[in-house]
Amino acid sequence: MAASGTFALWAWLAPGLAFLLLGLVYPLRRSGKPAAGVSIVFSAGALLAAVSAWRATVPEVARRTLWEWIPVEDGVLTSVGVLADADSTLMLILVALVSFLVQVYSVGYLAEEPPASLGRYYAYQSLFAFSMMGLVVAPNFVQLFICWELVGLCSYLLIGYWYARPEAARAAVKAFWITKAGDVFFLIGIVMLWSRTGTFDFSELFEMAQGGSEVLAGLGLVTFFIYLGAAGKSAQFPFHVWLPDAMEGPTPVSALIHAATMVTAGVYLLFRTAFLFERTPDVLTAVGWIGAFTALLAATLACVQHDIKRVLAYSTVSQLGYMMTAIGAGFAGAGFLHLLTHGVFKALLFLAAGAVIHAIGSNDIFGMGGLARRMPQTVAVFLIGTLSLAGIPFFAGFFSKEEILGAAWVGGLTVPFVMLVLTALLTAFYMFRVVFIAFLGEPAAVPDHAGDRDAPGGHAHDAPASMTVPLWILAALAMVIGIWVAVWRPETEFKPPFWLTPLAVLVAIGGIALAWLVYGLRVISPEWLFRRLSVIGEAAVERFWLDDLFALIYRQGILALARVTGWVDRYIVDGVLNALSAWTLTLGDRLRRIQSGQAQDYVYGIALGVLLLMVWMRWPR
Amino acid sequence: MTLQAYLTLAAVLFCIGLFGVITRRNTIGILLGIELMLNAVNINLVAFARFLGDVSGMVFTVFTISITVAEVALGLALVILIFRIRRTAVADHLDLLKG
Amino acid sequence: MSLEPIAFWGLAVALLASALAVVLTRNLFHSVLYLALSLTATAGLFLALDAEFLAAVQLLLYAGGVVTIAVFAIVVTERLVGDRITQTSRQLFTGFIIAGALLVALLAIFRRGPLTVPRPAVSGDLTRAIGQSLLTTYVLPFELLGVLFLAALLGALYFARPDD
Repeated sequence: MAASGTFALWAWLAPGLAFLLLGLVYPLRRSGKPAAGVSIVFSAGALLAAVSAWRATVPEVARRTLWEWIPVEDGVLTSVGVLADADSTLMLILVALVSFLVQVYSVGYLAEEPPASLGRYYAYQSLFAFSMMGLVVAPNFVQLFICWELVGLCSYLLIGYWYARPEAARAAVKAFWITKAGDVFFLIGIVMLWSRTGTFDFSELFEMAQGGSEVLAGLGLVTFFIYLGAAGKSAQFPFHVWLPDAMEGPTPVSALIHAATMVTAGVYLLFRTAFLFERTPDVLTAVGWIGAFTALLAATLACVQHDIKRVLAYSTVSQLGYMMTAIGAGFAGAGFLHLLTHGVFKALLFLAAGAVIHAIGSNDIFGMGGLARRMPQTVAVFLIGTLSLAGIPFFAGFFSKEEILGAAWVGGLTVPFVMLVLTALLTAFYMFRVVFIAFLGEPAAVPDHAGDRDAPGGHAHDAPASMTVPLWILAALAMVIGIWVAVWRPETEFKPPFWLTPLAVLVAIGGIALAWLVYGLRVISPEWLFRRLSVIGEAAVERFWLDDLFALIYRQGILALARVTGWVDRYIVDGVLNALSAWTLTLGDRLRRIQSGQAQDYVYGIALGVLLLMVWMRWPR
Repeated sequence: MTLQAYLTLAAVLFCIGLFGVITRRNTIGILLGIELMLNAVNINLVAFARFLGDVSGMVFTVFTISITVAEVALGLALVILIFRIRRTAVADHLDLLKG
Repeated sequence: MSLEPIAFWGLAVALLASALAVVLTRNLFHSVLYLALSLTATAGLFLALDAEFLAAVQLLLYAGGVVTIAVFAIVVTERLVGDRITQTSRQLFTGFIIAGALLVALLAIFRRGPLTVPRPAVSGDLTRAIGQSLLTTYVLPFELLGVLFLAALLGALYFARPDD
């Protein structure tokens, strides 16, 4: 029993050690490739430990406490350690696996980076892995929140890796700001929960919930605040705006953080604390509705993007909406399953896109075309990922997507269910739009010269081994999961209606067919389609003006607040002090005139003093 | 007459002397005001001595008279000296201690 | 009707009137003369209080000595007459207020206490009593008085030196 906990502990600490090494040993960090090697080795060790932890799990939860952080009178306020059960170790494997593959991939992708920057990159990667795993195995809210914030910090550092680019810097700040807004509410929710129950610990809270404790009644506000934190990180509407801009970071970063791990932290949080949310069904319903709406919104936005990474980013937002809807319907397990499968194939898609970008030198799908002939391996794995995302049977995403649809239906969220079905159609549509435009057809007229983006690419070719091997590993994993699920259909928490599977397949195929008609055969022209849906289309191009709204709030609101505060500081705070000093000087000047030098004035003073004395003596009588 | 009558008289005399000290411009005028105040004190002392049957009040009066005389003599000498130096006896002009 | 109240009231009026004249007269020389009058009235009051010795001392030293010295000082310093009261007095109103306030305070204190004691009988010769206590109980201040006069004498000698 303890073995699982120990392995989990090692899995968590290994990247932390790598970060310490890279962070403190300056020559190592400067050296570039050796730094990468250190980070990758520790990451591999973490992966092994994670797998061992999962293999060793038993029904009872394994806890290992590393350090009792804040001791109070009767017990510990919060401790630092791990809580290893079947779910957390699974998540640990996902994080470790994708992290390891991404780090290996980055050796090829960032080959032209200066060594010092590369060392910095791997230090950040290790820190991220450490934080994310700490979040996954956290036994209490405090450690979770601290790792949550650390993960946000790493996201900022990695999005802004090329900090000399103003867009990247701005995107990093935007991500940080928006998630921070959610985090504030998250923290308030945690503290409110503690003030109610007296504990931060998950196990204790779970026991309270199992026992039907009265303390946990009326927690609507608490769970809603916790959800707000998750909504910020998992890019739910309206906090989703940071995720597309976060594509300014290197593609491996997007694969790791903004597909498989960090953004899923919100979903993971809700999954872990589902026993709290069960007490507040209204909040869950809201979660479900917002999730479905986010999914649909993001899918429409993905249909009009030119940048391949942005398509994938909006796709991620959409899929996160899916997961949240499942949780909102009350079947958190379905959401978690989709989290795992989505992590695999979305990372795959991002890495494949990264290979394309590395080769072409640009993100624009209209600058690509006919890549299938020149980069067959890359296109093949991308296609595997696309089919998984679209939800075709025998590929990874099919079963988890269908489960979510079933969860929505059975959980009573009918309108969200319709939204999700529509989203599935659009998902297939926009992914195959990319496939048809970028991979099939004729090469674009734009010569593939060196772009101003990630790498000074030359000719479209398949990527080096350091990049292709992780791609094939992920692709293989996606296929294996897909086939395994299709053959040994696992137990579900509920009984889905019989017509669900055919509906899901039909919708997916319909989307693909629509994309083929528009972009493949060119039977229906895209412009005609765009004109038909012009209202939605144009709004989608403008990203529904949400970014502008946030910018407005930020600029006008916060800067105005800063100006007001500055004014108050200058004129009121300083003004009071200046006035006081001026009055002191004036008072001193006036008092000086008592010393007139005239002896009779002093007699005045004496007479006045005597008078006052006599009055004072007489007064109490 | 009652003790209160004498005390009241002394109080009025004292205040008149105080008024003189405060208002008079000439230094000698101020000294005359001081004289009146000391006079009032003496009346007070003697009245108390008489009405309480204790002769110490009168002894005290002897002392105050002696001291007053010495003080007046020296004070006027000072006024004369100042007049020699500053050519003025007006108290307003003697303001070297002005702060 | 007893003589004493008449004497008291007459002397009191004389005293207060001459005192007011001292502080309000424009002519400084007249001021000194009025002072002499008020000092004499005080001596009379001492007599009314059965303090003959003190009355004599008052007349000798005050009305005689002090006034003489003051006259000499006035003669030596010039500018003894002013045309308007403001040349000889300043801030009359505020001075009046202060002095008046003090008077009111003093009288308020007198009103409270049980100060209407009956006049006890004269016990023996007061002058002899003064002399006796001066040389027995109060001999120390008496001696110190001598020291004081010595100091005053020295001071006067110092002031009187010519400037060289």
